Amino acid sequence: MKRGFWLAFLLCSVPSLLAAQFGIYQHGSVVRMHMGDCMLAHRGMMVAFGPPSIPIRDSCPEYTLVSPNVVYVIVGKTSNQLIPLAEVIDFRLQKNELAVRLDDAKRESKFEIKEMFVRSDWDRIQRHIDAQMKAAEVHDAER
Amino acid sequence: MTSNFVKAAIRCNRPSRVLVLLLLVATLSRPDRLFALPSNNENESSDATYHSTVSEVRLVFFATDEHNHNVQQLQKDDFAIVDDERVIREFRSFTRSASIKLDVVVMIDSSESVLPHLQQVTADVAQLISRSPWNSGDLVSVMSFSGMEAHLICAETCRTSFRVDQVVPTGGATPLLDAVSLATTLLIHCRQQDVWPVILLFSDGDDTISKTSFRHVREKILESGTQIYAIDVGNSKRLSNGTATLQRLADDSGGRYVGLADGPVKILNDVMDDLHSGLLVTYLLPKSSSEFHSIRILPTHNLNLQFRCRRGYYSHRFGSARQEDGP
Repeated sequence: MKRGFWLAFLLCSVPSLLAAQFGIYQHGSVVRMHMGDCMLAHRGMMVAFGPPSIPIRDSCPEYTLVSPNVVYVIVGKTSNQLIPLAEVIDFRLQKNELAVRLDDAKRESKFEIKEMFVRSDWDRIQRHIDAQMKAAEVHDAER
Repeated sequence: MTSNFVKAAIRCNRPSRVLVLLLLVATLSRPDRLFALPSNNENESSDATYHSTVSEVRLVFFATDEHNHNVQQLQKDDFAIVDDERVIREFRSFTRSASIKLDVVVMIDSSESVLPHLQQVTADVAQLISRSPWNSGDLVSVMSFSGMEAHLICAETCRTSFRVDQVVPTGGATPLLDAVSLATTLLIHCRQQDVWPVILLFSDGDDTISKTSFRHVREKILESGTQIYAIDVGNSKRLSNGTATLQRLADDSGGRYVGLADGPVKILNDVMDDLHSGLLVTYLLPKSSSEFHSIRILPTHNLNLQFRCRRGYYSHRFGSARQEDGP
């Protein structure tokens, strides 16, 4: 029983420990967060091919994670799946999912990837949005 | 009641507000008219509009650990604020709210439904006021409400002047939301910088006659930054509309809901502990396309930390965001 427990523990913790050891984590920063639709996270074979059912209107956290080259929009699988909002977080891509390192590599939390942008494109879009908001502010002040 | 509000306004050192308060009392029967949203009244209003740059957000919040104990040693890099979806990590200041003055309005429901408990509630309020460790600049007012009106028993100086026999058991209907709206107005008009507005609401939450809607009251509370501690004097173990109303008022404002069944001593300790364990953070107002900013506080490292604060604020009016220039 005890051996089984240790074996399971090793199997769970080794991948993230190895990932940290070999420095395969990328670094990024979460700049936006909101509670969005969980539908993305709830999709799958059963949902796609199973009998029609009433969709569950739950909300899941959606994060915009900015890394040096790519910007990811990721969605949690449950409503309370949180990412620590530290200045810099470690993450890695794993089978179409994004695994975020929690508690200094003791465990990982996996998120669905909803969207990806090339960083330079995303920066350009943000500059455009900022300029529009500034123009709206000036317009409001002049009114 | 009119003279009470006039006295309260004068005590606020804002004589110019007297007129506003008089108007408020005169239109108590239609508070929705007086405080209707500008967006609803745009066509009717002919008042001049003043614009100013609002640039700083001031937020009182509470941090607890996994055992629901207040976190004493919280640092400014232990949390981030999600303000209208944007993650804020740079703060202008971060202090404990123990150093902030309180402006407290204690509201006592004296309507028919709570009459059997009124004597006990009044005694609890007297105990709270007399035994609480207030700071020297803290202001305490007491208001009762029933029938069609709210009655200001004493304004700002209740720490020394409140007596149990001042609360008259009148019975009648429960104008809960009207009364909360009125108390919030009072706090707004007496508002000074670095004073934290708080309502301690003793009621069963069962509104029977208010003309003000819940949505309107909620909006006003969020605009003013008032925190509501709702003490349920009804049967808090039985789910009712009243309980739900009190819980929502407390949750949305960042305050707390407690049942009177917890016992007066525990309630007093909990509320006062809370008021003295609050944290105050200020940050630059983030750009947003909407006037309402939803707020959420999340940990940066320790995911066991829990944070409590009001649900959001309005960037265009009094209260939550400080106006640094302009009128």
